[in-house]
Amino acid sequence: MVLVLALGDLHIPHRAPDLPAKFKSMLVPGKIQHIICTGNLCIKEIHDYLKTLCPDLHITRGEYDEETKYPETKTLTIGQFKLGLCHGHQVIPWGDLDSLAMLQRQLDVDILVTGHTHQFTAYKHEGGVVINPGSATGAYSSITYDVNPSFVLMDIDGLRVVVYVYELIDGEVKVDKIDFKKTSTSHSAH
Amino acid sequence: MRETDRRSTRKGEEKRTCGKDYDCGEKACGWWKQSCPKGPGPLVQIICDEAHLTAAAPTCHSTSSKLKVPAPDKVRRIFHDQLGSLVVGFDEQGNQIEGSQFELNSGEELEPIQPGELGFHRENHDENDKDHKVRPRPNTDSVTPISVLKSISEEEKRSDLEYELSQREINLEKLQRIASTGIPDGGGLRATAWKLLLGYLPSSHDLWDKQLKENRQKYAYLKEDLLRHPSEHIWNEYEELCLAKQHVDYEVDGPLSRHEISHEDHPLSLGKASLWSQYFQYTEIIEQIDRDLQRTHPDLPFFSGESAFSCNNREAMKNILLLFAKLNPEIRYVQGMNEVLAPIYYVFSTDPDKQNAENVEADSFSCFVRILGDSVDHFCQKFDNSASGILSTLSRLSDLLKVNDEQLWRHLEFTTKVKPQFYAFRWITLLLTQEFKFESILRIWDTLLSNPFGAQDMLLRICCAMLLCMKSKLLSGDFVANLKLLQRYPDDINIEYLLQVAKDISPDTSYYCLSL
Repeated sequence: MVLVLALGDLHIPHRAPDLPAKFKSMLVPGKIQHIICTGNLCIKEIHDYLKTLCPDLHITRGEYDEETKYPETKTLTIGQFKLGLCHGHQVIPWGDLDSLAMLQRQLDVDILVTGHTHQFTAYKHEGGVVINPGSATGAYSSITYDVNPSFVLMDIDGLRVVVYVYELIDGEVKVDKIDFKKTSTSHSAH
Repeated sequence: MRETDRRSTRKGEEKRTCGKDYDCGEKACGWWKQSCPKGPGPLVQIICDEAHLTAAAPTCHSTSSKLKVPAPDKVRRIFHDQLGSLVVGFDEQGNQIEGSQFELNSGEELEPIQPGELGFHRENHDENDKDHKVRPRPNTDSVTPISVLKSISEEEKRSDLEYELSQREINLEKLQRIASTGIPDGGGLRATAWKLLLGYLPSSHDLWDKQLKENRQKYAYLKEDLLRHPSEHIWNEYEELCLAKQHVDYEVDGPLSRHEISHEDHPLSLGKASLWSQYFQYTEIIEQIDRDLQRTHPDLPFFSGESAFSCNNREAMKNILLLFAKLNPEIRYVQGMNEVLAPIYYVFSTDPDKQNAENVEADSFSCFVRILGDSVDHFCQKFDNSASGILSTLSRLSDLLKVNDEQLWRHLEFTTKVKPQFYAFRWITLLLTQEFKFESILRIWDTLLSNPFGAQDMLLRICCAMLLCMKSKLLSGDFVANLKLLQRYPDDINIEYLLQVAKDISPDTSYYCLSL
């Protein structure tokens, strides 16, 4: 049972001052084993804050990140799942499923986590799952101002994943759950 | 290092000299003391017997008897003769093992009683003297008769035990008697004997299967109830839902369906009632248990290392300890419980019986709980000062020592101020599992568990015996030396001898009077 926190697009301090208080109160150290961050933090202080939540932190570079050393894409294996991470501004059209599927095949992963659109989505597409955790601070995006703060917590247990979606709607935290099981004949086999 | 010098002059009259100087400066116990600077004294034949190696060694002028040099009066006064001769006689010998040149294993040399009679009748004085006279002497030439005798007795004991355990109605007292002399390794004898002694198995053979099944079932339920991850709960619900809905959406592409859940049901929930927060409460304990298990007996591949075997063992022990912590929220887990669990788990998993081997965890859990039952208060800090707490037990140990050897007690308590809290805390709470080698621990626990008055009683006696066996070193040491000695108790001591001393310790009757 591995808890993986996926979030991104915080745009602190340019577009938002901080994470919403309700989110911050829930994120306590000790519970989460990995954090994957799609990018656009943008400053080192946020990196340090995320590091206090969990020492195993993976970040990919967003176009506004001040730290230039983050990689463009990243892959990691947790349990029986291969996760891929990318900010998403590189994939054009932004948020297009087929293009993301191309990236997924390129990275050869089961679950691809991207951001940039600031909208939460979770799709099953061509044998893999594409998750967009949205913006954890609700910062405005290049496309729209109407953004709800959201992030994703994945509970990976062997071949099964439970995805918890945390959204802040009208000042209240709403939690949704998505169950996903990896079939043993996976398309992403070598 | 004292050298022992063996001279066999006349046939049948083998003597040993210890080379120790008496205070007239003459070399001790040879044959005849003929010249001495002090002046001519009566010709005395001093034969080196262990008895003379006491604090106040007699001089060459003493009119000592032929065979035994009398122990100094001071010592004799305190014990009754039998114990006196035991301690006085063998105390030094216990220490002498370290530097001795005996060819035999130290264990064999020092068994004062004929093998096979250990623990059965020690009251007989004559037997004692007889033993001293007929004790087999070390003989370098022929095959040592003692080892043969020993292995014969082992076989006898094994067949005795097997016979006992195969009875329909097991005579617990007889089992206790045999077990207290040590259970032979192998064949699952120890595992079965311990289960009986702890009361896990009933004494009636027919009920064993039923009882075992019940207990193992109970354990399985407990495990399912308390040790399951919250995510497993959720998955079971989901699967049930899927089956109900006959819904197979694995093949369908598209947005994944979302189900809203209540605020309590997610991992980050802060509410107390959620499964998750209860689960996370124990992560700290789990971490500590893991850390302690990594450090349990690092020299044994059974427990340590990265092999699948040892990882499985540690996993099983973790489950047991975690379950115990969850069932006992007042004590939770205390560092050291892993040490108490280790011998039990080891013994049960080396049981060749297949059914038992599969259910090691369940059996170990029950027996662990039973063993800890008496001494669980020792682990709880708030009971420290109560009648069942560790401080009261330590004072009982102190009293026991006082009754048995006031000189040593006085020396420890007042002269060197080495209080039992400094050394015996670990002895008592961990049931001596950290003081000796692993095989010795198993042997000591045989005696501990087979005491008809309970393990705690025997534990105190063994602790007292440990002190008595180190008497001369303790008497000559100061605070630092004594503390060092007691905190790192020498593990090359003869265990059989130690247990024999423990059995002969006179009980502290004052305690019993008070409890009436």
